[in-house]
Amino acid sequence: MENSVSELKNYELDYKGKGEDLFGITIVNWLLTAVTLGFYYPWAKAKRLQYLYSNTTLNDEPFAFHGTGKEMFKGFIKALLIFAALYGVLFLFLYLEMPGMGLILFYLGFLAIFPIAIHGAYRYRMSRTSWRGIRFGYRGDRKEFTLEFFKNIGLTIITLGIYGSWMTINLRRYLLGNIRFGNTEFEYEGDGGEYFVMNLKNYFLTIFTLGIYIFWWQKELFEYYVNNLSVHKGKENLEFRSKVTGGGFLKLSIVNFFIVIFTLGLGYSWAFTRNMKYFLSNIELEGNLCLDTITQTEANYNDATGEDLEDALDMDFVL
Amino acid sequence: MLFKTTARFYDGKTSVPQNIEVFLDIKQDKLSFENGQQKIVWKNTAIKFSKNNNNLICEHGNDPIQQIFISDADFIKKTYPILKSKGHQHWYDGLVNLGFMNHLLIAISLLALIGLSYVYVLPWVAEKAVTIIPESYDNEIGQLAFNEEMLLNKIDSSKTKTLNQFASELKLNNKKKLKFTVVNSDIVNAYALPDGNIVVFTGILNALQSTEELAGLLGHESSHVNNRHSMKMLCRNLSGYLFISAILGDANGVMAIIGDNVNSLNNLSFSRKFETEADNDGYTVLIKNNLNPEGMTKLFTRLKEEETIDIPEFLSSHPVTDERIKEIQKRIKSGKHNTIDNQKLTFLFQKIKE
Repeated sequence: MENSVSELKNYELDYKGKGEDLFGITIVNWLLTAVTLGFYYPWAKAKRLQYLYSNTTLNDEPFAFHGTGKEMFKGFIKALLIFAALYGVLFLFLYLEMPGMGLILFYLGFLAIFPIAIHGAYRYRMSRTSWRGIRFGYRGDRKEFTLEFFKNIGLTIITLGIYGSWMTINLRRYLLGNIRFGNTEFEYEGDGGEYFVMNLKNYFLTIFTLGIYIFWWQKELFEYYVNNLSVHKGKENLEFRSKVTGGGFLKLSIVNFFIVIFTLGLGYSWAFTRNMKYFLSNIELEGNLCLDTITQTEANYNDATGEDLEDALDMDFVL
Repeated sequence: MLFKTTARFYDGKTSVPQNIEVFLDIKQDKLSFENGQQKIVWKNTAIKFSKNNNNLICEHGNDPIQQIFISDADFIKKTYPILKSKGHQHWYDGLVNLGFMNHLLIAISLLALIGLSYVYVLPWVAEKAVTIIPESYDNEIGQLAFNEEMLLNKIDSSKTKTLNQFASELKLNNKKKLKFTVVNSDIVNAYALPDGNIVVFTGILNALQSTEELAGLLGHESSHVNNRHSMKMLCRNLSGYLFISAILGDANGVMAIIGDNVNSLNNLSFSRKFETEADNDGYTVLIKNNLNPEGMTKLFTRLKEEETIDIPEFLSSHPVTDERIKEIQKRIKSGKHNTIDNQKLTFLFQKIKE
């Protein structure tokens, strides 16, 4: 054991899915969702996620998604009730002829859904994800995160959006920093100022190059996400390194564009597969973290309300 | 039947892979292996079997989840079909394993079905749905669109007055009170809003040469109001949007569609069916008022002259005027009509033309 701490280990992250298989799942999901007038959607989503996770591998061993359609259906109903309650309050105040008050409460409530959704989605997704039978987990505190969220939103509004870069990084640091994989801990070390300068630089370069530079901007965004991420367990560490290139992004986007256009959209599954493959196979892991000695620590959590709220708000899972 | 192979076992407590020997007993429908000193037996009915790349994964339990990974290709080839036949495959996987050609076929059929219901079923349903929407809603959005339009346009008040007099002399078969407004603009156009507001541009008034042409135009536009064509189109667009978003699993932007439509009510392209209906009503107005129905065809000829670009008919939401002229000519030939000179209308028409 003493030895393994200092020794560098080999890690390989990859995506092994095939466009054809994803296409099959997409079509079957589509058919079942259409036939059931939409009710199959949570189950369809579970199947899709199960497929995507199980084809993502670390050292040739797949991840697994254990979420079920039933959980997400229940979550969907709860999310629906939350939205209904929100509109209920609005209409109650309209009925009482206090539209101003009603609108203020409505918007505040609506804004408050965001941190609750993000928090809930992280807890659910992480708890439902595993590798070698060891669950991920999210240890963030809802109240703490909501306060952090409102503090950052407030500052972003006051600074007319400039603080947005800091907000993104602060929230990311909180969310990713609270992720656990068994007894290992994730850490994100981004800095708002650095992120702001990077975006500013890329913004102008993109304008000067009439948009072409956007692929190199994407590359830097991806790098900023990945390169600041690490996993720790005692003295053992695992660092993430991005190998993506601007040229790679350019080629990926152009080829995907043609795949989707020439198949009238049906080729989306192949384009998506190409993305997954490109992103995951271009993340390098370096360090001495022993993958064989991780122990189960995270509790089960099967309330999918946050997940469904996020879905209803059309938010991406990754922040 | 007993199958045996080596596998990796994860006990759900640590991430260490444990190499085990697995026995799959088909007859007793169970799976057994030794973990350390302990002999473990799982009932196959309690296991979730799934094939992933080159692995057969056997998942057992909920908290913790225990997994066995079998990579032995020969073993998988022999046992998986048996497991499948014994019902250890989810029906969903059966559908997923139908193969690419079948999936493509399903996709194309679904697309065709969606396309067909979008083109044929949906408009019909949407039009029927209009009857349950109260007329007051027509008035509200019509008024909203009118106010917005008039902010940007200059009203010719004296011509507006004369045009209203002209219209009141006509029997327009209107169910709703109509209000005509003349707007100063070179555009050769007129449009009807659902609340009974009909806006006529000076451009089209200048192009018209006779009383019956104007009467035909007003008859045409009032038909749009009478038949709630705007509302029908709105319902159609909205239901089309809802339909598509239901399929794509996204219901945002409904409000945006309503907003868009309110803003573009004036150039809302009526479907060909609605245009033909309005043309026929315009013709009826001319007959009823003892005006020469040729006014209708003349009106179209004027409009056609103004149209510089030829759009193929199937691309255009407005039927090409040639088609409309032919259809009206057919009606003129088939019916009888008396023409009486209406001095008052002629006088008002001249006044508008000044």
